[in-house]
Amino acid sequence: MIAVEGLERRFGIVTALRDVSFTVRAGQIYGLLGPNGAGKTTTVRILAGLIAPSTGRVRVADFELGRDNAQIRSLTGILTESPGLHDRLTARQNLTYYGRLYGLTDAALRAAVHRYLAVVGLTDAADRRVGGYSKGMRQRVAIARALLHEPRVIYLDEPTSALDPEAAKSIRELVASLRDEGRSIVLCTHNLDEAERVCDRIGILNGRLLAEGTPAELRRRGRAAATRVALDGGSVDASALAATLGSLPFVRNARAEGGDLWVELVEPRRDTPELVRELVTRGARVLAVAEDVASLEQVYLELVGERGERDPEGARAA
Amino acid sequence: MRLSLVATVFGKEWREIGSNRLLLAAVAAPAVIFAAIPIAIVGFIEVNDLDVNQLGQIAVMLAAFPDLPPKLAAQGFIVTNFMAYFLLIPAMVPIAIASQSVIGERQARSLEPQLATPIEVSELLAGKTIAAALPAVLATWAVWVAYGLINGAIADPRLLRMVFSPQWFVAMATLVPLICVLSVLLGVIVSSRVGDPRTAQQFGAFVVLPIIAVAVAQFLGGQATFSMSQVLVGDLVVIGLIGALLAIGSWAFDREQILTRLG
Repeated sequence: MIAVEGLERRFGIVTALRDVSFTVRAGQIYGLLGPNGAGKTTTVRILAGLIAPSTGRVRVADFELGRDNAQIRSLTGILTESPGLHDRLTARQNLTYYGRLYGLTDAALRAAVHRYLAVVGLTDAADRRVGGYSKGMRQRVAIARALLHEPRVIYLDEPTSALDPEAAKSIRELVASLRDEGRSIVLCTHNLDEAERVCDRIGILNGRLLAEGTPAELRRRGRAAATRVALDGGSVDASALAATLGSLPFVRNARAEGGDLWVELVEPRRDTPELVRELVTRGARVLAVAEDVASLEQVYLELVGERGERDPEGARAA
Repeated sequence: MRLSLVATVFGKEWREIGSNRLLLAAVAAPAVIFAAIPIAIVGFIEVNDLDVNQLGQIAVMLAAFPDLPPKLAAQGFIVTNFMAYFLLIPAMVPIAIASQSVIGERQARSLEPQLATPIEVSELLAGKTIAAALPAVLATWAVWVAYGLINGAIADPRLLRMVFSPQWFVAMATLVPLICVLSVLLGVIVSSRVGDPRTAQQFGAFVVLPIIAVAVAQFLGGQATFSMSQVLVGDLVVIGLIGALLAIGSWAFDREQILTRLG
């Protein structure tokens, strides 16, 4: 649905984006992570046909950016970094205005406004001026505005940033349901936990795309994942067992620590059952096996320049 | 250009302007003041049966209307001479509304979501321009009509013909809307560079001062009001200025420039 190839954008002598390429399929949520100034907003503005790339090619659905910008804007919904509402208008008037700009009329317009006011929980406050709204309410109006015309492609810049946990959860569920309807969604966020929970694929951006993949792929990226095996202490000597495991072809390294074994496997998902079988054969009583992988936060911090510590809480049950 | 989208933007702007009482007061105040002063003078002459020879410039006034009795000639001169100041309404009001609109949108960051819709920049600006210009055009027309009727009522019906003269019909139909457009363009361009509506409004002096200069020169030169040819020359001058502003400010009307500079 969205295909980005070799995107570059320069502002004078500053290169904001360099050689960015990724694709977002229909029914997929693509997370763009990156620090402030990484180029996330610039990327979204280019994809939405608001500003032109210096070089590179972007296709959205069957349309070519640069040639079909009006069509691209028609099938695109965008939640901008700031809600950007018209404070002297009510929520209903704001949505009605944008509905008309997107080409909705009469009954279809009224139905869409009614529906999305309900979706974001603002039906009761719909006829109050948005200038008096809280930050969270304003954000919800902006989300409704982005969805009003049932866009096939949706760009969401920090959709839950101003929301309380309950509202944020409902918005995440809404985003997931939009994905299930087959829409392509690009989600810019600083919230790594949200990205990990919601996104199908993630790109870590800092002027250029530093890494890309599913959240699981990114967590495993760049370091040997260790598999922790908790043993019943009375069954075998963990140190002796660790010394013998090194000869196995699928084991890179093994050590004992506090009665547990830490084993670096060549391919954890493939080799973990084999490891367990070997340990049982050698008389060990295995209590638990968990793959200790880096958290997305650690991967992110390492990629954008800070050193992240391996987080024991990040261990996931195998 | 899709008129339905222009009308949509206009409707939104109109609603916002209508809800801003301070802005409405700013629209109404100059219109009322420019009309009230000459009406008061004409009324004062009428009620006090003033000896018009006491008025300065009386010889000039009488020369402007040699067929009328001195009192009516003086009233006629005042009534028609002050009408030049009506052109200050389209000069001052649209720049106030346009700068409020553009800088307000800039501060609210509401330009980006609008530009992300299928609307063309020209449609967006057309809607904003009409919305900023129309209150001034309507206010000027309303004051002109009221001014003529009141002066005719309190003094002499012959003043009606002076106010509703052919050259003023042409001026109201052409010069007033053109000055409005010039004022809006100046407001949009200046607002893209400054962050405060009041600063932008000060640039309105570029439009206001020449009009005052023309009005003062007209008075000092003993001319009661504009001739038809002067109105048409005025139209051409303003059209030329609009063209120059469009050329100078062409970058200001580009989607990307609006976003990166204003958004």
